Amino acid sequence: MTSVSGDARIAGRGYQRYTGPRSGVPGAVRSVAWQTTRAILGIGRSARNKIFPVAAVGIAYVPAIVFVGVSVLLPGDVLPPEEVADYAGYYGFITAAIVLFAALVAPEALVGDRRTGMLALYLSTPLHRGTYLAAKGVAVAGTLGLVTLGPPLLVLIGYTFDNSGPDGLVGWLGVLGRICVSAIAVSASLTAISMAASSLTDRKAFAAIGVVLLVLILPSLAGALVDGAGYSPYWRVIDVFSMPFELVYRIYGQPGNFPEVATWAVGAANLVVTVAGLGVVVWRYRRLVIAR
Amino acid sequence: MQFPSTRALDGLDVSIPTGITGLVGANGAGKTTLISLMLGLLRPSEGSIAVLGLDPGPDGPELRALIGYGPERNVLPDDLRAYDFVRHLAEVRGLPRDEARSRASDSLHLVGLGEERFRPLGTMSTGQRQRVKLAQALAADPLLIVLDEPTDGLDPVQRDEMLSIIVQVNREFGIDVLLSSHVLEEIERICQHVVVLDEGRLVAQGAIEELVGDTGGVEVELVELRDRPESIDAVVSALRRDGIAVDRSGPSLVLSGRGTDELLDRSVAAIAGTGARVRRIGARRRSLDELFVDEGRAVS
Repeated sequence: MTSVSGDARIAGRGYQRYTGPRSGVPGAVRSVAWQTTRAILGIGRSARNKIFPVAAVGIAYVPAIVFVGVSVLLPGDVLPPEEVADYAGYYGFITAAIVLFAALVAPEALVGDRRTGMLALYLSTPLHRGTYLAAKGVAVAGTLGLVTLGPPLLVLIGYTFDNSGPDGLVGWLGVLGRICVSAIAVSASLTAISMAASSLTDRKAFAAIGVVLLVLILPSLAGALVDGAGYSPYWRVIDVFSMPFELVYRIYGQPGNFPEVATWAVGAANLVVTVAGLGVVVWRYRRLVIAR
Repeated sequence: MQFPSTRALDGLDVSIPTGITGLVGANGAGKTTLISLMLGLLRPSEGSIAVLGLDPGPDGPELRALIGYGPERNVLPDDLRAYDFVRHLAEVRGLPRDEARSRASDSLHLVGLGEERFRPLGTMSTGQRQRVKLAQALAADPLLIVLDEPTDGLDPVQRDEMLSIIVQVNREFGIDVLLSSHVLEEIERICQHVVVLDEGRLVAQGAIEELVGDTGGVEVELVELRDRPESIDAVVSALRRDGIAVDRSGPSLVLSGRGTDELLDRSVAAIAGTGARVRRIGARRRSLDELFVDEGRAVS
């Protein structure tokens, strides 16, 4: 330290030993989750890395902003009721944005680390495979929360300020709870599917394209089996990308798009997909030989 | 250490002391596998391992918080700034955010990248990227740093600078270093101890001073003179008359059979007496290269 005048000092400490506290595994998980979130959203990266996440997040919020804006700015019921988003049906406006976002988020989080060797570097820290995956899962699910939780929450808050929200505190808290549970359900399923795809290939593009292809193929396949071949309507559950959004309807007590499928089956399908997807990730990383 | 198709390490019994230790071996010798075992990235299929008194398996998180690892592979994300990369890994290794920030800068200054610390890694030269890898290993103040081929891809000047920093880290801050390299010369230059591996087996281990260095003989390299071609023969004859064993290869002589000091005195006298000219004279040293070849041959 060099004394200049009074209390003013110039610190010239240089490299020295550190004897303070260390945050251990929780701190490592937090740091990797936050850094991964930044990477996914393109924060601190070049402009081209920001384009897709900003676009996807923006698209997810556009309907919310429009509905709240119309409700606040225009008197009376300008839009017919079926064109105004209720909380359960909101995801119907942004399903594509959510699924595409999910298709790209996990590959960004997982694939690069394996390809470059950053995974080995992370595993030379207090993290091990399980805690590393937990950090990545938190980052992927948290980032998905931007598009699954944020927009309906914005609708709720906007409607509340416009006095067109749920009646009473209990009703308001009930809707808030449903919004949170719905967002968690959708994020969990899509996180598991997207992470599973990302754990099976070392190419980000292959993982993303794989997810997108499943999104395109599975609804058609389910429709062909049920509507075309006359199979049981329960075959709808193979459409793993529609089931999370179907579950949202059921959370709000609505029949949804596939009323012939029981709620328990929709819930079970989502649970199975989430557990199976995470199981694939764990299986793949347990088998991975990480030597450096 | 048994992989499905290969046995990477076989019957290895190694003890690594404090200081700077070189881990030497050709590609495929098992250096990286040993490092991976030390870090807990791999579990030994047989036997046990302890690092800093901890078992890398159950004590892995606690142990790895005390180790800084600089991998051989280029693991640097191109679009991240050097400072952000080092800061992030310091946080992952357990430093609070504010401390990680200041130590990231300090570490980058220490390795000579103070002015360059806010540059994206993708714009840095190979030498600068190697320094960043060293800085990230140092930032969280480890007790031990494990560096895998830290001079790979560096030119001679950059290599000297990197080795100087590694020595400084050990001497000034007391951080132990395990340096993996296939460049024996640099290991011999800066390491106090060495572990030599070949095809997964231990070839030699111990203090460099004991394994290499003075072997008790003297090496003399004479100049072949056009006007006096018999001068070298005369030196050899004079030495042999003194009862010194001389192994000649052209103008190079290896003398043995007496103490080093006496061999030096006798050879100087013989050269002076015959009018020969000397290019180089000195105590004979076994290099790490020779140790590697000799001991490797003995093991196999």
